[in-house]
Amino acid sequence: MNIVKDKKSQHIVDYIKEFARKNSLFVMAYGTGCGAIEIPPTMTSRYDAERFGIRGAATPRQADVLLITGYLAVKTLKRVIRVYEQMQDPKYIIAFGSCTINGGMYFDSYNTINALDRYVPVDVYINGCMPRPEAVIEGFVALQEKIQRGDADNGKKYQENIDWYRENQMKVIKNWNMPDYNW
Amino acid sequence: MSNDLVLENEILNLIKSAFNAEGNVIKSRRVEVFVKKDQVSSVLLFAKEQRGYIHLSHSTCIDWIEEGEFELIYSILSPKDKIMLYVKTRIDRDNPVMENLDGIWHQLNTYEREMREMYGIEFPGLIGDKEFCLEDWDEIPPMRRDFDTVEFARKTFYQRPGREDAKDVRKTLTEQSGEKIPDFATKYSRE
Repeated sequence: MNIVKDKKSQHIVDYIKEFARKNSLFVMAYGTGCGAIEIPPTMTSRYDAERFGIRGAATPRQADVLLITGYLAVKTLKRVIRVYEQMQDPKYIIAFGSCTINGGMYFDSYNTINALDRYVPVDVYINGCMPRPEAVIEGFVALQEKIQRGDADNGKKYQENIDWYRENQMKVIKNWNMPDYNW
Repeated sequence: MSNDLVLENEILNLIKSAFNAEGNVIKSRRVEVFVKKDQVSSVLLFAKEQRGYIHLSHSTCIDWIEEGEFELIYSILSPKDKIMLYVKTRIDRDNPVMENLDGIWHQLNTYEREMREMYGIEFPGLIGDKEFCLEDWDEIPPMRRDFDTVEFARKTFYQRPGREDAKDVRKTLTEQSGEKIPDFATKYSRE
């Protein structure tokens, strides 16, 4: 959105906007798999993620970042989609661990999805099983750089490609009884 | 602490003689008995009311697909004797119906609901939601051994390329130990 007409001034406005966004990442307090156990050490005094402006948020509507911490059961995926759609733009997803990338050790499970970015757009993947808090912070820094570059607009991409995402989501979630959010 | 298994043999012989059952002492503090399907409730009640096996530790099911049977195991513990008693029974795999025993221990309700969902065993009169862990499941129960989980995952979920060169670690491990992989297990081999 252009606030000012002058192109150079718009650049400065964007810079300030992205700077503010990247330094106040509110993380949705929602743990989906085993990886949620890495969040408390990341947030507390040993690694102290708040020095990067990363802190918790209680509800999806207040949050900027959704952490997918580990494997996702189909049942949980339904809740994740619902949470993600409730979040306000700009919104980012950081996917945690091998399970979100290609299924990890649950690649042949009957109830866990194998590739997260077929269902929701992912900004940053952190590999490892589990990633240590240093890796988590590294992932957050990568996201901050992406935001500063102005590349992190997956919320918009999700709206544009909603048909493709819906098709994939409905392939695994058989009983689709979710509300439609019209953003 | 005595090592001559007096208490173990005592409870084993009691159940053997009272119910005409098979059984043996596995090791210290572990006793197993094999009873018929309709005797399970009497054995459990006898052990609970008369012998102090008041704690239901676990209950689970094993799929013996080659023999066409499900084996149900009730692990009960006596806090006084410190003995774990495994009451095992076999039911028909094609018609898996088992008596609902959650009147003896109400905790059994949870285990029975899990077995109903994961193995498809019917417990007449069992109260509780049909769905336990799964949601909108319309395949055969997933813990049955004839459910091919690899094939199901391949068909249902997107497989990201890059895992094709993954090796089957079991092969290396069995070569080291000289153990043989059973035929039913090689079905799941990736090679």
